[in-house]
Amino acid sequence: MTLFLVKRLIMLVATLLVAAVVVFSVLEILPGDPALVMLGVSAQPDTLAALRAEMGLDQPAWLRFFQWVGGLVTGELGRSYTYDVPVSELIVERVVVSLPLAVMALTLSTVIAIPLGVIAASRHNKPLDIALTGAAQFGIAIPNFWFAILLILLFSVTLQWVPAGGFAGWDAGFWPAVQSLLLPAFALALPQAAILTRVTRSSVLEVLQEDFVRTARAKGLSRNAALWRHAVRNALIPVITILGLQFSFLLAGTIIIENVFYLPGLGRLLFQAIAQRDLIVVKDLVVLLAGSVVLVNFLVDVGYAVLDPRLRSGGGHV
Amino acid sequence: MALLSIENLCVELEGPEGTYRLLDEVNLLLNKGQCLGLVGESGCGKSMTALAIMGLLPQGMRAHGSILVDGEDLLRAEEERLCQLRGRKMAMVFQEPMTALNPVVPIGRQVGEGLRLHLGLTRHESETRATQSLARVGLPVERFPLGLFPHQLSGGQRQRVVIAMALACGPDILVADEPTTALDVTVQAQILDLLAEIIDEFDMGLVLITHDLGVVAETTDTMAVMYAGRVVEDGPTDEVFRRMAHPYTRGLFAAMPSHSSDGAATRTPLSTIPGRVPDALSRPAGCPFVTRCGFATDVCHQSVPQMEALGHRHGAACFNIARGEVDQ
Repeated sequence: MTLFLVKRLIMLVATLLVAAVVVFSVLEILPGDPALVMLGVSAQPDTLAALRAEMGLDQPAWLRFFQWVGGLVTGELGRSYTYDVPVSELIVERVVVSLPLAVMALTLSTVIAIPLGVIAASRHNKPLDIALTGAAQFGIAIPNFWFAILLILLFSVTLQWVPAGGFAGWDAGFWPAVQSLLLPAFALALPQAAILTRVTRSSVLEVLQEDFVRTARAKGLSRNAALWRHAVRNALIPVITILGLQFSFLLAGTIIIENVFYLPGLGRLLFQAIAQRDLIVVKDLVVLLAGSVVLVNFLVDVGYAVLDPRLRSGGGHV
Repeated sequence: MALLSIENLCVELEGPEGTYRLLDEVNLLLNKGQCLGLVGESGCGKSMTALAIMGLLPQGMRAHGSILVDGEDLLRAEEERLCQLRGRKMAMVFQEPMTALNPVVPIGRQVGEGLRLHLGLTRHESETRATQSLARVGLPVERFPLGLFPHQLSGGQRQRVVIAMALACGPDILVADEPTTALDVTVQAQILDLLAEIIDEFDMGLVLITHDLGVVAETTDTMAVMYAGRVVEDGPTDEVFRRMAHPYTRGLFAAMPSHSSDGAATRTPLSTIPGRVPDALSRPAGCPFVTRCGFATDVCHQSVPQMEALGHRHGAACFNIARGEVDQ
C-alpha cells in the first residue's frame, strides 16, 4: 500500500513538472508581448525596454522558467499585469467559488448516478432500465451551457427560487452562497451524471455475471442483497476511474458555466486573463488546474486501494 | 422419507430457434448421510441439475417436475421461501474457488454472512461461529485470521473457505459441483477427504458432481450417469461398477486411463467414445446416445428407452440390455 502510494506520489510530481514545461513553452512560442499589450502599440522603444526589464522579460527563457517554477514551489506566484495584485491573492479570492462549485457538482453527479446505474442494472432490459438509459443518453447529448439556460429560465425566471446569476459571497451567509451555486452545480453535474449512470450500469451488469454473486445467492441472499452487498463495491472500481477522468471535463465545464452564471470563479478568471494577455495569471492558473487534475487522479488511486484489497498488499495475483 | 427426491425434472430454455430441453425427466434420490455421485461428460446436465436443486437456474430457464427436499417441493416454492432454504437447508460448493469468493470482502465476513442472515446472529456471534467453521475445514484462526482476503489464500485454501461457508448454517444437503477440478492433484484428495468426513460428522446428504470415476468409486454410495440431459444408468456405486450395463457407461469406463501394476501407464492407446455429445437443439428423436452407440438398432432411433431395473435399485435406460444384446 505505502509503496503503491509513494510510486503514485512520484508520478504526481513528475506530471506537474511536465505540465509546467508545456505551459511555459507554449506561452513562450505564442506571439504577443505582455509589455507591448500594457503600453499599447504606440509606446516608445525605450519605455518598452524599461518595462520589459522591470518585468524580467529581457532575461533568457530558461532563467525565467526556473524563477517561475521556484516561485510556484515557494508560493510566490508573481503579480498580475492587469489587476496589479499578487496572483495568489486573485486565486484565493476565486477558489472559494470554484472549489465548492466543483465539489457540489461532483457530489450531485455521484449521488444521482450511482444509485440510478445500479437500479438500471438490476432491472436489465425492463422498462425502467430502458427509460433510465434513454434519459442518460439525453443527458450526454445536451450541452451543459444550454441546460444551464433552461435551468435559469425555469428556476430563476419562472419560479424565482434561486438567483439567475452572480455570487452572493460567503460573507452573505452559508445558505445564500450555496443557493447561488446550486443551479450552476446542477448544470455541471448533468452530463457527468449521465455518463456515470451508464458506466455504473454496465459495470454492475458485468459484475452480476461473476461467480461470487452466485455464491452469495447460494448462501440465501436475495437478488437485491447480493446486488448491493456483493456486486456494487466490485462494480465501483471502474466507476471511480471515470469519476477521476471526468474531473478535468468538470474544470473545463466551469469555464463556460461560470460565464453563463456570472460567477467570479477560476474559470472566469482564466477566460479574462487569456483575453487580456495576462500571461502570468494564465500560466499559474493552468498549472494549478493541471495540478488539481493530477491530485484528483492520485485520490482515485487511493480510492482503488480502499475498494480493492488486492492493491493494498502490493503484489499478489490479480 | 428421502432427504432429496427429484422426480421427472425437466429444464427448458426458450431460444430463438425453439425450445432447448437441457434436462429431460431426471429422477434422483438422496438419503441422509449418503453421497450421490453425478457423472457424465461436459454439457450432460450435471451442473444444471445442481443449480436446479439450489433454485438458481439462470434467468429464462423453466423447470418442471418436482424437487422434494424433506417433502417440500422447491419448484413450487416462492422466491422468498427459497432464500430461506438456500444456505440453511441446502448449500453449494462451486467448481472455481478462485472466482467463487468475493475478492473485496474478508473471508470471515463471507463465512459469517449466512449465519447472520439465517440464524439472526450478531456480528460478534457470527464471527465466533465463522471461526469454528473455518477451523473445522482446516483453517485455524491463528494462521488464517478472519480479516484475510481471498487473494491471500491458495486455491485449496479458498475451496476450504467455500466449504466452510456452505457448512456454516448446518445444511442437510450439500451440492458440490466438481469441487476439485480446479485444484492440484494432491489438494484434490484432501478436499474430497474433508467432504467425506463432514458428511459423516453432520449426517448430511452430499450430491457430488464430477467427471472423475475414481472419485466416484472412492467417495459415493450411489451414482447416476448422465448423458445429454438424461440419466442413463443409476444405482449403488459398487453395483454399477461391478455390473455396468449401459453402452455409454461402459464407454466412459473404458475411456479411463489404466495403470499397470508397476505404476507405469500401459502402452495401449486410450479408448474413446466416437463422436461428441449432441447439443440441446440437435438431439436425436430416440435414445440420446444413438448417434454414438455401437449397438444401435431401428428401435433406438425411434423411441426413447425408459429405465429398466437390472438389480436391486440398479437400472439403465437401453433397449439392448432388455433384449440381452449387450453382453453382461
